[in-house]
Amino acid sequence: MKEALKYVWSYIRRYAWAFAAALILTIAVAGLSMVSPYATGKIVGEVIGQGLTERLMPYLWLMLGAALLIAALRYVYLWIFEDVSQKVICQIRDDIYRRIQRMDFRFFDKNRVGDLMSRLTGDIEAIRVFVAFVVYQLVINLCTFIFALVMMFRINVTFTLILLIVAPFIFVLAIQMASHIRGAHVEVREEYSRLNSMVQENISGNRVVKAFAKEDYEIEKFDQRNEAYKEANLAAARMQARYIPIMDALAVSLSFIMIAVGGGMCLSGSMSIEDLVMINGYLWAVNNPLRQFGWLLNDLMRFVAAYDKMKTVAFVETTIKNPERPREVPVSGAIEFRDVSFRYDKEMILKNISFKAEPGQTVAVMGATGAGKSTMMNLIMRFYDVSSGGVYIDNINVKDLDKYKLRKKIAMTMQDVFLFSDTIEGNIAYGNPKASMDEVEQAAELAGATEFITQFPEGFDTIVGERGVGLSGGQKQRLALARALLVHPNILILDDTTSALDMETEFRVFDGLKKQQSRQTRFVIAHRISSVKDADQILVLDHGEIVERGTHSELLALKGHYYEIYCQQMGIVKEGMGEGGEE
Amino acid sequence: MARNVYNVDETLQQEFNFKHLKRLFGYLKPHRKQLVFALFLMLLASVANIIIPLLVKETIDRVIPERDVQKLVILCAVFAVLIFVSAVCLKKRIKVVNELGQTIILTMRKDLFVHLQKLPFSFYDDRPHGKIIVRVVNYVNSVSDLLSGSLVNVLAEGFSLIIVLVIMFFMDPVLTLVCLAAMPIMIFVVFRLKTWNRVAWQRVGNKSSNLNAYVHESLAGMKVTQSFVREDYNAQILDDVQDDYRKTWMRAIRLNNLVTPSIEIISTLANGAVILVGIALLEHSVTAGTLIAFLGFTGRLWSPVINLSNFYNQVITNMAYLERIFETIDEDPRIQDAPDAIDLPPIEGEVEFDHVTFEYEPGMPILEDLSFHVDPGQSIALVGPTGAGKTTVINLISRFYDIQKGQIRVDGYDISKVTLQSLRNQMGVMLQDSFIFSGTIMDNIRYGKLDATDEEVIEAAKTVCAHEFIMEMERGYQTQVNERGSRLSVGQRQLISFARALLANPKILILDEATSSIDTRTEQALQKGLENLLKGRTSFVIAHRLSTIRKSDRIMVINHKNIEEAGTHEELMAKKGHYYTLYTTQTRFIS
Repeated sequence: MKEALKYVWSYIRRYAWAFAAALILTIAVAGLSMVSPYATGKIVGEVIGQGLTERLMPYLWLMLGAALLIAALRYVYLWIFEDVSQKVICQIRDDIYRRIQRMDFRFFDKNRVGDLMSRLTGDIEAIRVFVAFVVYQLVINLCTFIFALVMMFRINVTFTLILLIVAPFIFVLAIQMASHIRGAHVEVREEYSRLNSMVQENISGNRVVKAFAKEDYEIEKFDQRNEAYKEANLAAARMQARYIPIMDALAVSLSFIMIAVGGGMCLSGSMSIEDLVMINGYLWAVNNPLRQFGWLLNDLMRFVAAYDKMKTVAFVETTIKNPERPREVPVSGAIEFRDVSFRYDKEMILKNISFKAEPGQTVAVMGATGAGKSTMMNLIMRFYDVSSGGVYIDNINVKDLDKYKLRKKIAMTMQDVFLFSDTIEGNIAYGNPKASMDEVEQAAELAGATEFITQFPEGFDTIVGERGVGLSGGQKQRLALARALLVHPNILILDDTTSALDMETEFRVFDGLKKQQSRQTRFVIAHRISSVKDADQILVLDHGEIVERGTHSELLALKGHYYEIYCQQMGIVKEGMGEGGEE
Repeated sequence: MARNVYNVDETLQQEFNFKHLKRLFGYLKPHRKQLVFALFLMLLASVANIIIPLLVKETIDRVIPERDVQKLVILCAVFAVLIFVSAVCLKKRIKVVNELGQTIILTMRKDLFVHLQKLPFSFYDDRPHGKIIVRVVNYVNSVSDLLSGSLVNVLAEGFSLIIVLVIMFFMDPVLTLVCLAAMPIMIFVVFRLKTWNRVAWQRVGNKSSNLNAYVHESLAGMKVTQSFVREDYNAQILDDVQDDYRKTWMRAIRLNNLVTPSIEIISTLANGAVILVGIALLEHSVTAGTLIAFLGFTGRLWSPVINLSNFYNQVITNMAYLERIFETIDEDPRIQDAPDAIDLPPIEGEVEFDHVTFEYEPGMPILEDLSFHVDPGQSIALVGPTGAGKTTVINLISRFYDIQKGQIRVDGYDISKVTLQSLRNQMGVMLQDSFIFSGTIMDNIRYGKLDATDEEVIEAAKTVCAHEFIMEMERGYQTQVNERGSRLSVGQRQLISFARALLANPKILILDEATSSIDTRTEQALQKGLENLLKGRTSFVIAHRLSTIRKSDRIMVINHKNIEEAGTHEELMAKKGHYYTLYTTQTRFIS
């Protein structure tokens, strides 16, 4: 709990003055709220009881004045608490979001989007409630309590001490309740997160659900989560039901002790009735905070539970660190893999990979699905770090470079094309939002995308659905390609970018790229011979190892894997042609 | 139908709609008994709470000064009982109120989710998914507070308000009327503020939806962001979106927080008026004792009034969320079972398009007057330029969209007259986008047939050549994969969804660019495995690799909203038409 408070305080601190002012106002209002009962009491006693009518108006003005002042002050401090809480959660969300953005791919492999989303929305909301509401409620109740207690002590020390006999009980209960209810709330947050993830996946995967007519199954899965979330909430409620009534009863029993013990003391003469009457006048001010205490403790624990979940991402550190003194990022684009191995969990994904790509060269990588091609590319970008060996750019290990500057020099299209729900223009300009329309159109043209974009009634302003729904695989790939081309990288990585294009379009795209006068180093991952045959160097990967390397003609001469693939692809085509009567 | 993006507010409904409120209460109906019980507990507790101070007063004013020990003991005993009763009531109440609230929330969330399952692709395609998620999870949660705690409280408050009013009226009608004079003013103020308040909270709802949409999408697309080093730029966008939210929130709060102070000031004025009038009437019709007692009750009158106005305020706040929830539940599913729909009996796999015309948007047909007939067990390949409507054709077979003209028949049954479930259950569809659910690989394949045994799953994986790579993973079929299948390459994902489609053992198999990311060798092996499997199944294949489709029984070239040419590979090659051109260009690019 201390940790949670410390965390949130580190944010509130920036608004410490405003927060302190609001707290002072809160305390002032707590004091002012005693005025009205006081004035009413005086009116009853002096004006009505003793008939001192001339005192009526001052008391009435006092009442009204206090009410106006309370209203105004309360409005101000509520506003401040809301304002500070909003600023605090904005800051927290911003920090966590930035932190998540800095995380490496392993992190995203392990954390579901829905769970991360819960951290940034639902859990943060619990922190907001704490700052905006729970804090001042705690303060106002504490003040009233202490204020009344002091007054009571001044009236009769012994009797007040006797009244306080309930305090240890409440204290012990509070400690017990705190730990129990915290666990219950952690469970609530947990289930919230699970529910969120479940719904998120269902919505993202809606096409698959429908295609397999698995709506009922999804509803069943949902019911489980929905039910579990309800159960978690009810479990928390049961904890409340277990402790809060007892605490409430203890608080109320103050009145009981007062009349029982106080009555006895008065009867035995050890206390005057006047003292008892006066103490009774303050008793509500001790009573109410104590009755609130259980609930506030519950709210407090809800906040601590949210923090427990948040801290899993609030302090997370990426394993891919930036060097302390990064070296200047070279621009030539010569890439070398020196004896690179990469292990994921216990699996060896890449084994002793070595090769060199000169600036301006095109390196093609072929190999079976899952052979490690994409992983190789991810190592250049430092999305993962090598397990042994090193990746070098102009003889500098990528680990010695600022990873963000490094990535800026490289553009990569990923095999799993992700488009954002934005206009086509916005998607192409993702890497450089300030790009001019001309640049966007050029990139689209080079990627062979203009032809279909202009077919849309709204052209470049067409809004693409989330993940690019509504576009065909080939269209998505071309947009991803345009997006990569727009940033004019020194190194261009095309990971399976043209697989869904027909060969003619693919040919035009590669042809266009070739004609560009640039020293761009290119990596092309592909399965089709047509995509790789013009590369300066072709690497054939198998189970994480380079089994063949060379140019198209060298590899054909080798009569190995590459040759086999070539024959298969060529053979099928030839066969088809032959039967068609040509050649 | 413009698509919505994260930074565009969804449309607002300006009118305050009481129907929503009525509907909300509809959710309470089945729980009337619990509700009454909760109310009863509340009343019992509030009776105890009213008696306790009276008891104390009695003791201090009379019993102790009179030194009546016996009475003191009796009072203490009564007191102890009251404390006990009130604690038991509280305990029960916490349980009942939570039970009630949580059950209603469960029901409402389920209604929403079940309905979402019926909504067509277009619903999901037209807005960021974050905006849908927020409705199911966050909005429903917000409404839950309204229903569970506040509603029961407010009913109890209303009740005690009436009791207090009756007591006051009996004490002194004139003074009561003075008090009541304040009511119209309060109601006026609350309603005046309501109008602004409502708009303000609607905006908050929209902004929170935008925020959620941005958070969701940017998390989902994080890898792209990182590769383009857009982290700072995106953080800036998040800040803007957040700031937008924060400002609308503060605006709403500024209005919202006016309500309570207004009521309090008016009530203080009313109290003052009562005192003035009371003192003026003193010795005429009002006794000092009555006035004092009356003043004691005014406090009890205002606190329920303040609570009621707060509740009303809360209703206004949540109305924006309720609207969105009900709007979604009311969203027209468009594609649904006809009222007299029958279950499609087990099919052979005959498919017929009979003069089919289809358009996504009125006046812009994608397919026009398309007719073809496929015999059971035939394999059909669809080729043609991008955007010509190949995917549309196969989407129509699964009835993902309804056609405007003509009829589509499967085994002679018009597909619009059979249940969606029975139709789609007999098809295996492998989509362009191979979605992997988080869970094990085993579970993901089993999605195609939930009651499949492990052996069946493995069998399907073997057929599509996925077994090998799965076994190479440390935990084999029990390997945990993630939503977007990170850790798996796209090719591997395609093989898994392929296995999933096969496991469903469909009579009609639909493959939409199913193998584009699979390497040649795997594909070759896959082809061999499939040949046996495709026997006795009708299949529709879309692919760019012409090698994949060469052996199809019939190839249809879709172009210009219809079939441009159709026939076997040999026939089409001999015809030297569109297909011939497509095919021959291939060799050019290879050699």
